[in-house]
Amino acid sequence: MADALTQLGFASWLSVLIASIIKVTLILVGGSVGMMFLTWYERRSISYMQDRRGPNRVGPQGLLQPISEAIKTMTKEDATPRDADKIVHFLAPVVMLGATVLSFAVIPWGRMFPVDLNAAVLFVIATGGLHSIGMMMAGWGSNNKFALLGGMRGVAQLISYEIPQVMAIIPVVLMTGSMSLQKIVEAQNDFAGLGWYVFSPVGLLGFALFFTASLAEGERTPFDIPEADSEIIAGYMTEYSGMKFAVFYLSNYMSNLAVCFVTATLYLGGGNGPGVDALGGIAGGLLSLVYFLLKSFALFFVMVLIRATVPRLRVDQLMSFAWKFLLPLVLVNILSASFWVALLRWDQQWPQLTEWFGAPSTADATNWGRLAIAIVLTLLINAGAVALIMRLTNRNVQKHLYTTDEELALGLS
Amino acid sequence: MLKTEELQINIGPQHPSTHGVFRMLVTVDGETLVDLKPVFGYLHRNHEQLGEVNTYLQNMPFTDRLDYFNSMVNNHAYARTIETLAGVEVPERAQYIRVIMDELSRILNHATAMGFMLGDMGAWQTALLWGMREREKILDMFEYVSGARMMCNYCRFGGVVRDIDDWFITELKKLMQGLPHYFDDFEGLLLNSEILLARARNIGVLPKDLALAYSVTGPVLRGSGVAYDIRKAEPYAVYDRFKFKVPVGTVGDVYDRFLVRIAEMRESYKILEQALEQLPDATGGFINPKVKQQSLKAPAGEAYARVESPKGELGFYVVSDGTGSAYRYKVRAPSFINLSALADMCKGYTIADVVVILGSIDIVMGEVDR
Repeated sequence: MADALTQLGFASWLSVLIASIIKVTLILVGGSVGMMFLTWYERRSISYMQDRRGPNRVGPQGLLQPISEAIKTMTKEDATPRDADKIVHFLAPVVMLGATVLSFAVIPWGRMFPVDLNAAVLFVIATGGLHSIGMMMAGWGSNNKFALLGGMRGVAQLISYEIPQVMAIIPVVLMTGSMSLQKIVEAQNDFAGLGWYVFSPVGLLGFALFFTASLAEGERTPFDIPEADSEIIAGYMTEYSGMKFAVFYLSNYMSNLAVCFVTATLYLGGGNGPGVDALGGIAGGLLSLVYFLLKSFALFFVMVLIRATVPRLRVDQLMSFAWKFLLPLVLVNILSASFWVALLRWDQQWPQLTEWFGAPSTADATNWGRLAIAIVLTLLINAGAVALIMRLTNRNVQKHLYTTDEELALGLS
Repeated sequence: MLKTEELQINIGPQHPSTHGVFRMLVTVDGETLVDLKPVFGYLHRNHEQLGEVNTYLQNMPFTDRLDYFNSMVNNHAYARTIETLAGVEVPERAQYIRVIMDELSRILNHATAMGFMLGDMGAWQTALLWGMREREKILDMFEYVSGARMMCNYCRFGGVVRDIDDWFITELKKLMQGLPHYFDDFEGLLLNSEILLARARNIGVLPKDLALAYSVTGPVLRGSGVAYDIRKAEPYAVYDRFKFKVPVGTVGDVYDRFLVRIAEMRESYKILEQALEQLPDATGGFINPKVKQQSLKAPAGEAYARVESPKGELGFYVVSDGTGSAYRYKVRAPSFINLSALADMCKGYTIADVVVILGSIDIVMGEVDR
């Protein structure tokens, strides 16, 4: 964008500045407006799952409901507890929202990239990790026992789930050979825009693991333990009201949106799809944006479905799920990703490896043959690992209930 | 070992999942519960004292307010006590109507109670709202026969206040067509869900002997493996004419109570079907015309009568001195007595389990505090 402005006759520093301001404004407005309608989308879809209508009064189909609610929260009293640590209490929502907005900087909108960072994957994970600081600040600064419990739970959960989350990305980075989100999207453009990583055995398992870990990172059901309303009221948000509460809410939904965007980029091919390359130019860019948003909202719909159905896990079960279930599978997936790369990309990706070890044994086979071998091998490894771990964690389901219809004694023997 | 400090938390009286104004003074070590002290009385309304001032009929609407989910059952139990005390005959049709209302109450109570329990577990209201949908339909039926949705005030001494008509029976049959689908849907939603199993199995175990020692009744007792149901043990009204089973659990955990309640809804449905089939025509009347409702005087003496309310054994104990109002009036409220086992059921589990265990007992504070 800056180049286009320079061509229009702006000084180069000015065009960079203007371009940055436009980008920042778009991200902030897009993110928060997107979040508002995300709440509407979630409420309406859950309502239909629960046999009711949901918000449908404000505006057409209730589309303006989030705006009326934004006005409501802004005009509410902003109460701070008397014994709270006032500065920390004030800063906590700011830290949370700041971290979330930062992650939006590198997220590609289809094929349009605000910033193409060469370590974008790390950046996204790092900004996600900042959330635990905000949570701890809110929990500690509120001087409330429920908030403290919520903050503690939140930090424990985020730290545990960051590990499988980061390690679930490693296969993607291996397969692409880059940490740049743009490169990752480009790498998934084979087969007429359908060469998404999710279609390979490695990517499929990675997708499932990454999405599950991301649910925990975004505090979505069944991992919404830090704000479990039936146990600890609203967790670390208990003592927040008015605008500060709205900022927490905004940050939560924006980070959920960011998770969906990142998942779509990493595993579902980002803005790639049939027809994008054929159209090219601005039309192709818009089509890629449509593809990208469709994929992201489909992922968000999965989140909504899960939220409407399952109960939440307990804290200890959450931890054992992360360490005993996700982590081994993630490690196995890295192994099979290494095989995948070794078989398919050895000579292309790392020429020096070819120099050292010689060409891979299947180098003279056609690419298709190598692909078939890679798919079969990784499928065997991954399916075997999943089956094994399911078997190991399986419980014996005994029949619990029996019924009786004989004339009953009092049973007081 | 790391030295940890115990933390005392008040869960309630204002808390999203204490089912009313119940307060639990909880001592936790991290997330693990060390001690639990139930505190109640926030909803005390002097119910038993009022029962000694009111005339017998005046007290009938007050019983609605005990367990406000099942006012029909409360009315039935109270009417039965006064009928025993005053020796009043009840026409057969009225008995059948009472059974129909009781079983409808049981379905609506279990549907919502299990919905609330799953809500406490974190399933975002889907199960609850499906239950509420069925409850609304049943409440419509109650409104048609009694004029009120929740505070029905339907029973009278020697019968019921209004007869049911053909419209009611056709509508009830329509409603019942939908019920098996609801049971299946509700089971299909979560019954074998891995997360539900992890959260409910072997949680809040109440062993058989402890349950008996606390004189726990209802689905909680049956979940612990004691096949005790007043409808079978002491068949009142016309319950001896129906074929139904008593579901019994084996472990006594939250999951057993959940299963027992779902199975009981299915059994209630069977009873409803049989009751509609056997319902005698209106020739026998729906109320004993000889009873003077407003100036009923019971001979001096005492009476205790009980019914199987959806929450357990609901009994009324009335002592009469021959005047028009009770000399002593006592309610044996199942919620209150089931709640006394809470602390023993919760110890050693985590805070997250405590709210689920409380939900699985299924209390109504109107009945606990009276």
